[in-house]
Amino acid sequence: MYFKRLIPYRLLLALGVFLLAASVAAATPGPMEQARTTVDAVMAILREANLEKEARREKLSTTIRARFDFNEMSQRILATNWKNASAEQRSRFVNIFSDLLERNYIGRIESYTDEKIDFLKERVQGNRAAVDTVIVTKSAEIPISYRMVQQGSEWMVYDVVIESVSFVNNYRNSYGEILKKEGFDGLLTRMKEKLAQLEQGGDSSQP
Amino acid sequence: MTRIAPLLLFLLLFFSVPGWAEEDFSLEEDPFAEPEAKEIADPLEPLNRGMFWVNDKLYVYLLKPVAKGLRVIPEPARVSVSNFFSNLGTPARAANNLLQLKFTNTASELARFLTNSTFGLAGLFDPAAKWGLEKKDEDLGQTFGHYGIGQGFYLVLPVLGPTSLRDGLGRIGDHFVDPLPPALKTEELAALRALDAENEISLDKDTYEGIRENELDPYLFVRDAYTQMRAGKVRK
Repeated sequence: MYFKRLIPYRLLLALGVFLLAASVAAATPGPMEQARTTVDAVMAILREANLEKEARREKLSTTIRARFDFNEMSQRILATNWKNASAEQRSRFVNIFSDLLERNYIGRIESYTDEKIDFLKERVQGNRAAVDTVIVTKSAEIPISYRMVQQGSEWMVYDVVIESVSFVNNYRNSYGEILKKEGFDGLLTRMKEKLAQLEQGGDSSQP
Repeated sequence: MTRIAPLLLFLLLFFSVPGWAEEDFSLEEDPFAEPEAKEIADPLEPLNRGMFWVNDKLYVYLLKPVAKGLRVIPEPARVSVSNFFSNLGTPARAANNLLQLKFTNTASELARFLTNSTFGLAGLFDPAAKWGLEKKDEDLGQTFGHYGIGQGFYLVLPVLGPTSLRDGLGRIGDHFVDPLPPALKTEELAALRALDAENEISLDKDTYEGIRENELDPYLFVRDAYTQMRAGKVRK
């Protein structure tokens, strides 16, 4: 009997919390708007004439890093390996990995200056969202979906899915093989070597 | 049942607050996670790695330099070449849409073919896409996948690159509905295929260079991307 009487109150409380959350969500721009803001900012930097290469990269880096959650990304890539890693190993992985990504992708997006990006739709479920976009190049349309997680008022990207290839899954599997054979420290060593090699500008994989 | 519905709702809301239901470590459920493609079997890995190495050298020393040379041709012209070959791929796409009982897509492919072969000047242009008829990409490998046949195992073919037992067999099957082979001599066919491939590389924004320079193990990276990409196409 007591239990039954309690239900309406609990429901009311839950509803209250729900409405509160909804009103907070309504006040801040949604994931698609936030993703669009970052993409627009990146495109503006890419189109900025007479900007030194280093200054451009610096600006791109700051803009992009502000929208990415490398911690969440790393957790998902490492999965159970994250669980077993020490706090120090975790933070080293996040740092080296984000630097590697920066090296890898900032140079690559510089070739996308006159492409159009259409924002198609956002899907939100709780604190997670998927923002579907398509890059229209002259020869193809490439679907790109951003997976985002809400942190306070910010929506942060932790996965990018290009033509159904998930970035996180891709690294989870390819790093997973290395982890299996060489362990966590082995992986970190190889990542550090790669980063050093890229930073020297020397590229040993070149013919 | 109606009585416990509010309770269920409450419990749902209660436990959907992150952190409460979580233990020390468990990944938060991601409602939008891509269904993870099963890792592909790779019993021939040593052999595949060898072929991957050969293809890498072939790409870097031969295919890419030629493609770079093609880049002197204005991009719109190369896009037209790409459209032309894509238009010739209609029979395979239409047939595989049909095999998967995707009738609307089959009709769409045929309508595209008619439109682009005429208004699109023998396929050089793609007016159909502008009128809302997008390409519906299907091949025999995807048809096999559609009916539940798995990849089998990973294969790296000389020149052609990553494939699998299933998709490789699929390529052979698709070959039979390709309009070019019966119409051309072997050398002519090879030359056209080479042109098609080189043209595609010239349009690409150095994707493979990025992978080979930056990834710890390009072989694993490509193998997984291929597996995910194909699984995604089968789901569509």
